[in-house]
Amino acid sequence: MTAGPMIATGWSLHLPGIPLAATMTDLLGRPCGAWAHELAVAPENAAAVLGRKGLLAKEPATRLALCAVHRACELAPGFRPASPLSPRTAVVACGNLGNVATVAQATRTIAAQGGRAVSVLDAPNVSSNVIASSVALWFRFGAANMMICSGAAAGLDGLRLAGLLLRAGRADRVVLVGAEPADEVASALHDGDPPLRAGAACVVLETAAAARPAGRRVLIDLVPAGAVPAAAARHTVGAAGFDPTSHWGDFYGARGVIGLALAAHLALDEGRQVVEVRDPGEDAVRVATVRVGSQP
Amino acid sequence: MAAVIAGSAVRTCFGDGAQTFDALLGGAVGAGPLRHGDPAELNISTAYHAAAAGADPLWRASRLLAACVAQAAGHAGVDPSRERVVVLVGTGLRELSAVEEWALGGTRPRARSLHFGDVVTAVLPGVVEIITISNACSAGGQALALAQDLIELGDADVVLACGTDALTRSMLAMIGRVTREPATAVRPFDRDRKGVLLGEGAAVAVVVPPDRPGPVLGRLAATGVSCDAHHETAPDPEGIARAMTDAFERSGCEPAQVDLVVAHGTGTALNDPAECQALRKVLPVSDDGALVTAVKGATGHTSGSAALVNVDVALRCMAGGVVPPVIGLQTVLEEGTGLRFVTGAPTRFSPQLVQINAFGFGGVNAVTLLEKP
Repeated sequence: MTAGPMIATGWSLHLPGIPLAATMTDLLGRPCGAWAHELAVAPENAAAVLGRKGLLAKEPATRLALCAVHRACELAPGFRPASPLSPRTAVVACGNLGNVATVAQATRTIAAQGGRAVSVLDAPNVSSNVIASSVALWFRFGAANMMICSGAAAGLDGLRLAGLLLRAGRADRVVLVGAEPADEVASALHDGDPPLRAGAACVVLETAAAARPAGRRVLIDLVPAGAVPAAAARHTVGAAGFDPTSHWGDFYGARGVIGLALAAHLALDEGRQVVEVRDPGEDAVRVATVRVGSQP
Repeated sequence: MAAVIAGSAVRTCFGDGAQTFDALLGGAVGAGPLRHGDPAELNISTAYHAAAAGADPLWRASRLLAACVAQAAGHAGVDPSRERVVVLVGTGLRELSAVEEWALGGTRPRARSLHFGDVVTAVLPGVVEIITISNACSAGGQALALAQDLIELGDADVVLACGTDALTRSMLAMIGRVTREPATAVRPFDRDRKGVLLGEGAAVAVVVPPDRPGPVLGRLAATGVSCDAHHETAPDPEGIARAMTDAFERSGCEPAQVDLVVAHGTGTALNDPAECQALRKVLPVSDDGALVTAVKGATGHTSGSAALVNVDVALRCMAGGVVPPVIGLQTVLEEGTGLRFVTGAPTRFSPQLVQINAFGFGGVNAVTLLEKP
């Protein structure tokens, strides 16, 4: 099966503290749709989206990721879904710094008080795949489960691997989610200008057979290095267009997925039809196009 | 569609792949005093340190990985200037030990040094894609699954499926936290097992299409993957069995064809019974059923590289016609009744189809089926 466009059937931005509507209205020259007016709650208020149970010891980045998935799946706010296992839904999570604060704090606790003083509730958090596995456990996604930690390139690396999982028949649906925190430890490690910004986004990708024919969708192409995008973009997310990093801050490993979700909103919800995502990655710019269309 | 392994390299507490396999056949145990962190603080006294990581407490996973990438790529004749080479690095703990050293007053690391792109580029310049995949103790198996997909779908000419891990204090403390007294050895599938101990290690499998000229060490039938979506840290036999079934469905092989299992076998209270239950559910249990071996009693749990260390062992079993015993196993746990564990001494046997298990925190499972070329 060759690499054609991927079908995205759901997307969300979950960027606490960022005035999407104001920023986008300036950009578009008119008030924009409801998506830009929805409140993105901070990690400590995640219960408003996710419900109260089960959030104990969940790190901020994990909470942001769960909120983004919840919203991309268009679930009712405030309730944790009681879903049966979805054995054909995979998770690809992208991010790097979600657990560094826990790891640093645990290390200092061990040195000061010994290992017995470390909470076992943090056991999942010292393993770097905690965001991916937490999303699977929360929403009961039972297919492949991967956490991509390749720095600033993680988001579009995640898109690449999500597409691979679908083409290889490992899943009918892939929940691609990016999330980073902006705590003191994470921000110091990131050490960038602009600084690290906390946020998450989710894009739900499905096979043509799995996607509901009448549902909303956009098509996503990851443009091979050196190739020219097939469709001419009317708008760019990234340098030379609207650059989330310069307006809002650096979402680092979540940046690629945030760019894709924003492009999906612009393409479909704001009628821009074809939107290009230019992501600077870690060392090389990569391009994805997001366009309105029904069939690949 | 198929993919083959054209090269394999390993670093464990015993050295390279040949040294590791010799140690397994000889019944050696690579455990020694824990040199990372304070044993009393961590309630862990023992670890399986790899000399190839050097004496420096920092960047050990990176050094082990670099050694394996260079060796495996060299043996397989990988040339990024002529081939589209992708490198997938599976890891459980990345270089988080550098964050821990910083938290204790050391130098602040750069965020990009927590993953392995620069390490791979330094030893194999010209690679087009390097992706670090953090998937706990099945990370190497997940990398192997994606490597086969990339080859079979024509997205790459060569994929290096890699795994690497050293130790972190935070993970050691979690292990120490759930054990009453520190284990001094890993005893996979033993009734009296005392828990897991970590080993440092890295491993690389070079995955290529069958028609690429060069060595062929084994044929990848399939790697099945699943997520339990059941519990944050405890394994689930149902989720594990789904990964096994996925591997059989993807490969077209029958469970009865498996004649050797290189098991995950961590020696924990929960893993070993769950793994046995899944094996008994999926594979036929009989007097001529598959042999079962496991390496962690000798090497410790090498986390992100564990699946690929097991692949190297499986390749050597196929090539040498001999299967090492489960070191540390004396009395088989109740749930393992009927499974044919290799115990005591190596067995002369030349497997044709080997099943390799890897499971990790968060319920992430990868099960590989590897055929003799």
